[in-house]
Order: sequence, then C-alpha cells, then structure tokens
Amino acid sequence: MTPNRHGSAVIEFPTDLEIVITRKFDAPVELVFDVLTKPEHVRRWFAPFECQVTECSMDLRPGGDYHIVFVTGDGTECSFRGTYQEVEPPTRTVATWLFEGWPDAHAVESIDLREADGVTTLTSTLAFRDQAGRDHMTKSDGTEDSYDKLEDHLRSLLDPEGTVSG
Amino acid sequence: MARSPTTSDVFNAIAETGRREILDELITGEKAVGTIVADLSMSQPQVSKHLRVLSEVGLVRCRADGRRRLYRLEAARLRPFHDWLAKYEQAWNERLDRVDDYLKELQQGERQ
Repeated sequence: MTPNRHGSAVIEFPTDLEIVITRKFDAPVELVFDVLTKPEHVRRWFAPFECQVTECSMDLRPGGDYHIVFVTGDGTECSFRGTYQEVEPPTRTVATWLFEGWPDAHAVESIDLREADGVTTLTSTLAFRDQAGRDHMTKSDGTEDSYDKLEDHLRSLLDPEGTVSG
Repeated sequence: MARSPTTSDVFNAIAETGRREILDELITGEKAVGTIVADLSMSQPQVSKHLRVLSEVGLVRCRADGRRRLYRLEAARLRPFHDWLAKYEQAWNERLDRVDDYLKELQQGERQ
C-alpha cells in the first residue's frame, strides 16, 4: 500500500527570482520522466479538470520547442511555449517558458528527478530573468480586485511549469 | 497588473534575504536597532535601510524609548502573503496530484 501523497508539494523561495517546488511520486524515474515529457501523457494531466488541452507539441531535444494550449470552461485560451536547453533522460530537463498572457515574464525552468527505493523526487526550479517577471507570480497592487485576478490566473500561471517539465 | 515601486507591497518587502532575517529576529519580541545589528552581523546602515522598507509596508512598527528606537513585528500584515501562498500551494498541489493520479493509473494498468 503506497502512501497518499496528495497535497504534499513543498514550495520554497530561495532567492528573489526563484521558486522551487519539490514533490515525491511513487513511481520509477523513467516513468515519471515520460509522463512529464511525452505529449500523449502530458495531455492527460496538464489542464485542470474543466479545461481542454487543444495543442500539445514537445520536441524533446536541446533547441527543440514545445507549445501547449488549453481552453478553460469559459473559452479562454492559455498558451505556453518555450525551448528546451538541456535534455538528459530520465533525470533532467531545462527549458525556457513563456506564458503568452505575460509577455515580459521570461523564465527558465529546470526539472530534476531522483529515484530512491522506488520513490521519485521531482524538484522544479523556476528562475525568472528579472523582477518584473517574478512579480507576476507575487505582485499585488494592494486591492482586493488584484487578488481576485491573481486567483483567476493562478492555474494558468502554474501550468507553464508542467509544460516544461514536460 | 500594474507594477508598483519595490517598497510598496509586502511581497517585495519580504523577497529579500536580509529583510526576512530581520523579521525572524523580531519574532521573539521588540528589539533595538543595535541589537538587530549585533545579532545578524549586518551593518547599521543596512539594517536601517531594511527597517525603513519594512516600516513603509507596515511589517514593523517603531517606537522611541528614550534615545533608543525599538522595532516590533506587525505579523498581521503578512496576511496577504499567507493568503497568496495558500492559493499558490493549493494550485500546485492540484496539478501535481493529477500527475500522481495518472502515474498510478498507468502503473495499475501495467499490473493488470
């Protein structure tokens, strides 16, 4: 019986420009890598339940591009794209990511996978090029409205993550 | 979202290691600038600069005690960050839980 790890992601902010997420999966590293990097798998988990993945291409090699689009229940398109910089199956990918809703938020995402005793630990580091980019993740202009917008954007904001990770 | 100057919100105020160390230092209670300087091995100008930023967003309050200036933490002002982090964490967890569920589905399929 494997433990239920739902809700166990650890989120850290080691520097002004980085966000690091760690999470364990009860699966071998090769399988986790495939699930994060192959379109046929990514389509199955990338979008929230009520959203539909309409585009998912991943050219998994250094210099190769990926592009993932999903459509929310109200018809809003969320598009993520980037270019792989490093691909080392089954333990590491590094890729740029760009969420088209935030054209100035350039970031590089590194995914590292380590397996021990059948448990694979994923460490995802999202490093923004500058403060303006990271501010999208954390910024509020102090009004309730901006918090509401932040909440609205949250899922799409997080999804670029998986894009790259896969 | 409109951008605002660095010191105008809690998120940016705490996105600096030195300022977070000062907040940690004040968790145990009100302290004089000199005590913070000594405890954190930061320079007095550095500490004063950080305290000014923290004061501007209301994360610390200052009062005079004779010639000393004492600073204390206004923890309630961390609420927006706490709320944001909770939502952020939830969204991340939902997404990684979908990966987890899908991995389980795949592995169960293999066993059958």
